[in-house]
Amino acid sequence: MTDALTTVEPPAAATPRGGGGGTLRYVLSKVGAALISLGLIVVLGFVLFRVLLPGDPVRTLTRGAPVTPEGAAALEREYGFDLPLWGQFTRYLGNLAHGDLDRSLVFKVPVAQKIGERLGPTLLLVGVGTLIAVVLGLWLGTRTAWRRGSRFDRTATGIALALWSAPTFWLGLVLLTATGGLFPSGGITYPDTPPDFLSQALDTAHHMVLPTITLVAVVYAQYQLVMRSSLVEEMHAEHLLTARAKGLRDDEVRRRHAVPNALLPTVTLVFLHLGLVVSGAITVETVFSWPGLGLLTFEALRFPDYPLLQGTFLVLAAAVVVMNLVADLLLRVLDPRVRAS
Amino acid sequence: MTLLQLRDLHVRYPGEHAVAGVDLALAAGETLGLAGESGCGKSTLAMSVLRLLPPTAEVDGEILFDGEDVSTMSWGRLRAVRWAGASVVFQGAMHALNPVHRIGEQIAEPIRVHSPKTPPARVRERVAELLAQVELPADRAGAYPHQLSGGQKQRVMIAMALACDPKLVIADEPTTALDVVVQAQVLDVLTRLVTDHGIGLLLISHDLAVLGATCGRLAVMRRGRVVEEGPAHRVITAPTHPYTRTLAAAFPTIGDPASRYNPATAGEPPVAGTEAVGEELLTIRDLRVTFGATAAVAGVDLSVRAGEIVALVGQSGSGKTTLARTVLGLRKPDSGQVLFDGKPVPTSTKGLKAHRKQVQLVLQDPTSALNPRHTVHEAVAEGLRIHGVRGDEADLVRAALTDAELRPAEKYLGSLPHELSGGQRQRVVIAGALALSLRLLVADEPVASLDASVRGEVLALLLRLRARLGLATLVITHDLGLAWNIADRVAVMHRGVIVEHGPVEDVLLRPHHDYTRSLLAAVPRPDAGRTAEPRADQGV
Amino acid sequence: MTAPEPVERTPGPAWARRRAAARRAWGEFTRHRAGVLGLGVLVLVIALAALAPLITDADGVDVTRATGGRLEPPGGRYWLGTDESGRSVLLLVLWGARISLLVGLSATLLSIAIGTVVGILTGHFGGWGSALLMRLTDFFLVLPSLVLAIALSTVIGPGVGTIVLAIGVTSWPSAARLVRAQTLGVEARPYIERSRALGGGHLHVIGKHVLPGVLPLVLVNTTLAVGTAIVAESTLAFLGLGDPVAISWGSMLRSASNSGAVTAGAWWYLVPPGLAIAVVVLAFTLCGRAMESVLNPRLRER
Repeated sequence: MTDALTTVEPPAAATPRGGGGGTLRYVLSKVGAALISLGLIVVLGFVLFRVLLPGDPVRTLTRGAPVTPEGAAALEREYGFDLPLWGQFTRYLGNLAHGDLDRSLVFKVPVAQKIGERLGPTLLLVGVGTLIAVVLGLWLGTRTAWRRGSRFDRTATGIALALWSAPTFWLGLVLLTATGGLFPSGGITYPDTPPDFLSQALDTAHHMVLPTITLVAVVYAQYQLVMRSSLVEEMHAEHLLTARAKGLRDDEVRRRHAVPNALLPTVTLVFLHLGLVVSGAITVETVFSWPGLGLLTFEALRFPDYPLLQGTFLVLAAAVVVMNLVADLLLRVLDPRVRAS
Repeated sequence: MTLLQLRDLHVRYPGEHAVAGVDLALAAGETLGLAGESGCGKSTLAMSVLRLLPPTAEVDGEILFDGEDVSTMSWGRLRAVRWAGASVVFQGAMHALNPVHRIGEQIAEPIRVHSPKTPPARVRERVAELLAQVELPADRAGAYPHQLSGGQKQRVMIAMALACDPKLVIADEPTTALDVVVQAQVLDVLTRLVTDHGIGLLLISHDLAVLGATCGRLAVMRRGRVVEEGPAHRVITAPTHPYTRTLAAAFPTIGDPASRYNPATAGEPPVAGTEAVGEELLTIRDLRVTFGATAAVAGVDLSVRAGEIVALVGQSGSGKTTLARTVLGLRKPDSGQVLFDGKPVPTSTKGLKAHRKQVQLVLQDPTSALNPRHTVHEAVAEGLRIHGVRGDEADLVRAALTDAELRPAEKYLGSLPHELSGGQRQRVVIAGALALSLRLLVADEPVASLDASVRGEVLALLLRLRARLGLATLVITHDLGLAWNIADRVAVMHRGVIVEHGPVEDVLLRPHHDYTRSLLAAVPRPDAGRTAEPRADQGV
Repeated sequence: MTAPEPVERTPGPAWARRRAAARRAWGEFTRHRAGVLGLGVLVLVIALAALAPLITDADGVDVTRATGGRLEPPGGRYWLGTDESGRSVLLLVLWGARISLLVGLSATLLSIAIGTVVGILTGHFGGWGSALLMRLTDFFLVLPSLVLAIALSTVIGPGVGTIVLAIGVTSWPSAARLVRAQTLGVEARPYIERSRALGGGHLHVIGKHVLPGVLPLVLVNTTLAVGTAIVAESTLAFLGLGDPVAISWGSMLRSASNSGAVTAGAWWYLVPPGLAIAVVVLAFTLCGRAMESVLNPRLRER
């Protein structure tokens, strides 16, 4: 009898555990997909800013300002426009491999150097903003789902919907007008702040208040709404009945069985929509003249400085792809349901 | 001593009186079976014992557990009674287990809740003990639900139910959706443990045979009321209420000549119609179909003659469903032949279309086999429209519905599937097939999802269609009783090959292959009083 | 078989059924107060935008014929004050609605059309072509859409068409994912297998079962996406990628920001266009959510 128990069931179900081979294959496929995406970004960057760019390249680069024939030839050589398209592509790939993104037309320095300078402020703003938004959004999402239909739910969900509906930059502009000089209107520090760490940090924090509030306001709303509907969905799950039957208190049922199950897919979605944060950063940095990659994109756009635009496009898009890869791998560790599929 | 006592229990949902005055009693250590078809209120009744009903439910009457009224208990007292006093084995362990927790944690959870002072090492020990009781290795504690088979999950549910040594276990359809053999094993584990530990068992099922094999006493529920109650053996062999009689007759005893070519129906009994059998219509030769590395069908020979009813019997995963799809050209064979009317099943789009005018499929669950947005008329006319059949569409649809015994056809034309009963839906599916120039019907578990009282009616329809229209049918099923009810020949399939085939009487009454014997042994015998043990010698 | 008696009730060709279903859905929709409110706002805004040339004088938006002073605060003559060239802000908001709504709607139609086709194709047909298309969709989904839109519009040159194209081309992937998921859901239902067993080909299955099953979702998604597209339009216009002469809510905010309205504290120039965007987007969102819960009763408690 005992033998029969394990033998008759369908063979497919008899495989024990997810198995180490499955994990390796998963990691490889995800890394492979991310590499393909990165390759596509590189190609897209070339196609957008080299192939599709209309008109005479030198005129485009100089925006029609008069140049001597020698100057034009020098420019063509510097940016590789004298090469055939395929040659331009190999030159572009070769340069990328060395981290060379050409020279910015506006700033007259290498694009890579400029991007390096602006990376820090963006990481600071986006990092702090996303952290606050995730914590606030998930907490409010959980609370509103638990008490759905209550006045708290109606108010919090209403506010989130309203904030989600308003354009980011407008919120920033309104905040600026409304606070009327209480906070600095732009930049990251005042030029006359003493150079010691504490003064610099305090001044930076002071400058960061409005941009962070604006970024959080738009992003948290999305997280809250997603978490709420995910948890409402999860609260219909049949295994919650099992948990109640076991004698768990209602709050234990939610905390142990509903919230973790809803949290994991929400976090995936958060990472999948990281492009939203990048978009938010571009507009927020523009409104508050925060010297990060977003403002750099805007400055490049105004000129328009194509090499610089190409650089920011590559860096921002690649960053999002890499973050997604990290999220995918992390989720595989955290959520057994991902392993099942 | 009475463990559970229900007195004049009523449960009302908005617009529905689910339980309408039930009195039941269960003594400590006793096993009580609660039988009834879907929607009769049996699950509602079970959930009311631990006050697990949704807030919209309104409960009246007394529910005494161990002498205490559950409906007036404080929340704290109720939580203490839940699981430690009475635990539940839920229907469909697939969804009743939390997908993100390891099963060890889930079994340990009630222990930690009800005896929070238990040292962690002792909890681990207890989990291993419980897993051993349901015959699962201790290292399975680290597995997630999705890594277990259906039968294993159901065992985990049983282990979990026993975690706090309850006095009562409520098992709600614990074996539905499991294969016959696995079902027998799970029931065996459940009854053995309950008996060993002197636990009271309330077993709920739609399957009278399962209850008869497991329980000492039986109550039959219909429309919120208990219509009959008594010792299991008496209720099944000598039912007094007509409804119980219908239920008891639905599943035939294999070998009983009265049910041969005679499924239980309320109407006129069908004729056998064996004289309709003619030339060979479908021939399958050395057929192989693989999915990736696994061979679903690994060399099968089978034939169906015109007007013949052949049953293809096997457990899930035996490859029988794949075989059915291949006959319709929905799957491509890797090697071997499927001949229809002497010609191979075409592979071209046009050829397949013509082939499917003559060969049709009836699926297990008619609810999902009909587009919920399409009326009966549209559903039946779909094939006509695809094939551009000439003639008055309305007339053809009416004729097909009448053939499928939906009379008068006009009454059903404008209905949407959700307005029909399960049996009526299955008839609509059959009518859709009959509307074409049908010669062979491939029916994949045609009655498995239907209520017992409807089962016989649909089977009788298949017999009558054969007698009247000479329709050949290949019935795919796990249900040996179905083969006994209507088939001329039976083929037993196991792991992609047919291990035994021949006339129904030969195979089912004098089986040669061990696998056929184990299948027959696993069929619950309501009059046996206990599940027969499946044999251990089924290979691997 | 007995001769069928003459029937009086014909089985109502699909139309009667659809009318009844639509009536039911409408009845259900009207139970959502927020949704009805949103719909009301939308009808009003669209009517005002469409009638703008009839109820106002187009001369008022012409910079050369402006009559007011620079950044005049709200008063009896200009209820919402004036902009930096002396035009009525109220009039500009009214006329700006035309471009904002037009861009929002056409960009959405473009993205939903691409998304629906890609979603149904990848959901219905398997194989490597489908897998490739899906990978491409995932790639575009992850790509920060504003960055791509900026890149696209710098290449094509600023203008209303550019904005429509940039939004349409960058926002289809989420629609495609949604439609694909729904298509897979429908395809997994046994009635699809029955339809194929009856002899139905790809066109039949897609046309009779998949498309009708997916369309309600597409409709909801369109409603929700219009809001997103209007916000995207304003962002792109604010960044200077729109038509410099066309008046939209986004371009108004750009002018407000560039003309020093913020430092001057001219809130009357800043608040109305932004509020208009927020209100219209919220109205689309409320409408869409109400429709969603009509479709999926399980969401009803949201």
